[in-house]
Amino acid sequence: MTKLGQWLCGLALLGSAWAALALAPPGLRLPAPYRQALLPLPVYLLVAFGCYSLATVGYRLATFNDCEEAAAELQEHISAARADLRRRGLRF
Amino acid sequence: MATATDQVVGFGLVAFSLVLFVYYTLWIIVLPFIDSDHGIHRYFLPREYAVIIPVVAGLLLVLFIGIFIMVVMWKSRKPAKKSD
Repeated sequence: MTKLGQWLCGLALLGSAWAALALAPPGLRLPAPYRQALLPLPVYLLVAFGCYSLATVGYRLATFNDCEEAAAELQEHISAARADLRRRGLRF
Repeated sequence: MATATDQVVGFGLVAFSLVLFVYYTLWIIVLPFIDSDHGIHRYFLPREYAVIIPVVAGLLLVLFIGIFIMVVMWKSRKPAKKSD
């Protein structure tokens, strides 16, 4: 089974569990506070995932170290490419 | 070391998402278990807004992305060939 199939199966499982508890057939009724917390759960998980993504992006942005040698090497490559293109007649 | 701006922005994002997560978790998960006459309910909107606000924000995001794509595709269309 592909990864997509696995994810869809997992989602279908969790979704049906949530729907079963949320629709509250007489046999499965939860006490009132639990039901109130359960109903917005999909939106809550989505918002929580968004917060996690934002925090990860921010953290990696803040802790990304400069790479001095890579920068110098890149500048060398740029000037070499420029000289080469100029030699071949490209004007810029 | 990342530049100072990068660090400020990065850790600002982390702090913002942490605050948002804590507030939203309290709102959705903790508040139903607290009696309705406790003072903490003053700091939270009615529960319907806990679903409406993220959904509307998501729709606005999709709208802006769509508009951005439209603008970029509009600007990059080639002009029609003129006949001599």
